[in-house]
Amino acid sequence: MSEIEKKDQASTHKIGIYLWIWGLLFVLSFFSYMVDWYQFQGLLRWSLILFFMFLKAGLIMAFFMHLFWERYALVNVLLWPMTAIACFVFLMVAEFQYTVFTRLFYFFVGG
Amino acid sequence: MSDPKIEGLELKPGFKGMAQDTSSDQTMFKGVHWGKAMMWIFLLSDTFIFSCFLISYMKGRGSTPVEWPNPSEVFALDAFGVPVPLLLIAIMTFVLITSSGTMALAVKYGYEKNRKMCGWLVLATALGGLTFVGMQAFEWSKLIHEGVRPWENPFGAPQFGSFFFMITGFHGTHVSIGVIFLFIYAYKVFAGHYDEQKRGWFTSMKGDYVEIEILGLYWHFVDLVWVFIFAFFYLW
Amino acid sequence: MSEDLNNNKTIQAQSSETLTGGGAGAAPDVDYVRPAEVQDQDLYHGHSFITKWIFCQDAKVIGVQYFLLATFTGIIGLILSWLMRLQLGFPGAAGFMTAEHYYQFVTMHGMIMVVYFLTALFLGGFGNYLIPLMVGARDMVFPYLNMVSFWSFFVAVAVLMASFFVPGGPTGAGWTLYPPQTILEGTPGSGAGILLMCLSLILFVAGFTMGGLNYLITVLQARTRGMTLMRMPLTVWGIFTATVLAMLAFPALLVGALMMSLDKILGTSFFMPTILKAGEVLEYGGGSPILFQHLFWFFGHPEVYIVALPAFGIISDLISVHARKNIFGYRMMVWAIVGIGALSFFVWAHHMYVSGMNPWFGFFFATTTLIIAVPTAMKVYNWILTLWKGNIRMNVVMLWCLGFIVTFVNGGITGIFLGNVSVDVPLSDTYFVVAHFHMVMGIAPLMVIMGAIYHWFPLVAGRFLDEKLGKWHFWATFLGAYSIYFPMHYLGFIGVPRRYFEMYDSPYMTSAVGMNEFISLAAFLVGAAQFILIFNIIKTLKTGKPAGKNPWKANSLEWLTPTVPPEHGNWGDRLPVVHRWPYDFSVPGAKEDYITQTTPPSEVLNTGVEKT
Repeated sequence: MSEIEKKDQASTHKIGIYLWIWGLLFVLSFFSYMVDWYQFQGLLRWSLILFFMFLKAGLIMAFFMHLFWERYALVNVLLWPMTAIACFVFLMVAEFQYTVFTRLFYFFVGG
Repeated sequence: MSDPKIEGLELKPGFKGMAQDTSSDQTMFKGVHWGKAMMWIFLLSDTFIFSCFLISYMKGRGSTPVEWPNPSEVFALDAFGVPVPLLLIAIMTFVLITSSGTMALAVKYGYEKNRKMCGWLVLATALGGLTFVGMQAFEWSKLIHEGVRPWENPFGAPQFGSFFFMITGFHGTHVSIGVIFLFIYAYKVFAGHYDEQKRGWFTSMKGDYVEIEILGLYWHFVDLVWVFIFAFFYLW
Repeated sequence: MSEDLNNNKTIQAQSSETLTGGGAGAAPDVDYVRPAEVQDQDLYHGHSFITKWIFCQDAKVIGVQYFLLATFTGIIGLILSWLMRLQLGFPGAAGFMTAEHYYQFVTMHGMIMVVYFLTALFLGGFGNYLIPLMVGARDMVFPYLNMVSFWSFFVAVAVLMASFFVPGGPTGAGWTLYPPQTILEGTPGSGAGILLMCLSLILFVAGFTMGGLNYLITVLQARTRGMTLMRMPLTVWGIFTATVLAMLAFPALLVGALMMSLDKILGTSFFMPTILKAGEVLEYGGGSPILFQHLFWFFGHPEVYIVALPAFGIISDLISVHARKNIFGYRMMVWAIVGIGALSFFVWAHHMYVSGMNPWFGFFFATTTLIIAVPTAMKVYNWILTLWKGNIRMNVVMLWCLGFIVTFVNGGITGIFLGNVSVDVPLSDTYFVVAHFHMVMGIAPLMVIMGAIYHWFPLVAGRFLDEKLGKWHFWATFLGAYSIYFPMHYLGFIGVPRRYFEMYDSPYMTSAVGMNEFISLAAFLVGAAQFILIFNIIKTLKTGKPAGKNPWKANSLEWLTPTVPPEHGNWGDRLPVVHRWPYDFSVPGAKEDYITQTTPPSEVLNTGVEKT
């Protein structure tokens, strides 16, 4: 019951691309480690962390998990649900700020 | 992988192709093996699990009234008498990425029906995963030794330990399950189950090297999650 | 792999008119359908009793297993509701009933009905039985996983039931399980009860994930030739979208249950703030109770639609078949289902208006909540327009359909009330809320389940259910349910709070006492009426009228199997080939008032049938 395999003709990708991505991942991991090593703080630290993180995640998904070569039907099915996660994250940021605010408010001002 | 050949259908690329695939009969993901589609959807679901963990961690860390411990110091390791921040974590990250690379190559050689190469690479991946789990066990025992518990720790907010053990534990469980399957599949590759299309133990499906890709998806996902945990838990 | 073998198989699987010649006289390419992409599925056929009926890999048997087990838990839930109504209508009438018991029954009733009854019944029961048949597959794509899915559900139910027998009894924190009270001493079942509940939920989610992957991949990747997504019956669309929601929403529940278990077992403080108890500070501190509420409702609101969407889909099919008319606005119905599904992830905190969350959220979530009412309302219009000038068969199935529309509209409108923050605040935690959600996701889906049972029983068992008993069953349930929940709206308006064990001498007591008695009597009646169905099924299995093939003259594939009831593998030697949507009823110029999905275009050349 497997699919009809036409994989013999289907392109397997050149080994070079994997090695490249592999190397890039090492470099990016090294960079994100350096963010901590040099103790960047504040906005710079967070934006660098996020930048390297998303780049690494993107490379893994696109090339190691072959999403770059997959048809858009699959790619879109996989990526659109992330909007729900994004909304959840966004709202929870607002929520923890409010929680901290009420905690400190009642701590200093009283109930 | 890419560009499947479908009888009686000329596949278009891009969004046109997406509309075509979606409105066509039989399959929506053209040329995608059932098991591979299943693994993708499962990983999507799993993504939501890890997202919920990380969102909870964000909410917990953001709203705790006590100072959050500095991960850079907590996870520092003495190397030659000098404390190096996040040393072990850095090594773990490199190990995991290495294993991810070997897995990607294993998938490639699997599709080329290069049994030996594929088998050795899957085995290498399994060993990489095992190393990772071992180092995680070391990390856990070190922290426990230092007095970090799920309910308290000497460094600051008690939620630090709770989230640390829960999230890395859940990730470690995924890695461990992956390692077990990697060993099983390494055996199956070496035994030639995919060359002779031997049916699996619990399924009437015929064996095929696509299974290596399916396993690879899972393994890369584990790596992917680690990227996020590394960024949010250790670096943030 | 060997290419030749595969190619041969492919040709065998092309079971159709393209090879054997279709309708006479027509141009041959009218009936052309693309050859099969996927080779025919190899199935494991059980031979012993155990592999055929217990650890069975046939989706149809698994569906029936799910159905029976879900019904069993549903009956437990029904009995619990009886006990609750006994206490509320006639306080003290049941001698053993303490406040603790009452809360435990409330909790277990809610959890059982929502998760273990409705979800399992719609997705596990109807999903397993109908999806492969309706999309023209031989079975689910991963039969073994499907079997494991059911047995995980079985273990989950067993664990849940076990919590009745542990010291302290089942958890009594309400089905939403809000911490901190859930795991604090003083709440009934805060020890073993809540742990077993969490364990059971985790098992359920794990089992459901296995089943859900099956449903999704079967719909996406294993449709038969000619079956496009837009030719699927709405039943499949409803179940499919609900499964997508389940796959994305259950993770939040899993995470919540896991973290709560850790709070209980290890003493972590994920959800536990600093708590003073009898002057003493507990060991917990710094956690966020509202986080659990967000996690729970991030699951909980999609869960509402996990129950509702299959009901929407099934009712569309039932109405169309029994009104002998195509469903009005099929594409709109599909997009409404998909849209509701997508939106349902952005409305969750409308359950939390009074929880003390960030006050700005009320604005956001009230807006999204009112937006989600739009596609829902479109569906209601479409059902009514489908009935409009239809050739309606006033049989039991149609009665349930009409009952569904009425109850659903009723519950939906009260939902608009509750979706607005300023209206919700005085109404929250009153019987108005109880009336709302029982109407919209209790009674309405139940009407669909009943209609679906009367509709598909001839397929599953090969015999018609008795119409006369069915009508008794319907009218008792419908009128009884209204007698229960209509007065509850009023109770809510006068401010009677929900989840109270007894009203004692509060001012509510005097004005609500008669009404509470009436509601309780109606509840006993409605519960008892359900046993008419069980009697009907038992009677029918012995003496019912044989149904034969396609008794309702429906179009969709499940009625077109070579044998009734369908065998394992569903389709005999050849898979069906689909040429149209399943709603070609009363087509002008056609010989009969229905054109099945497998009818090739060449056979209906001179009719008003539209291309679908």
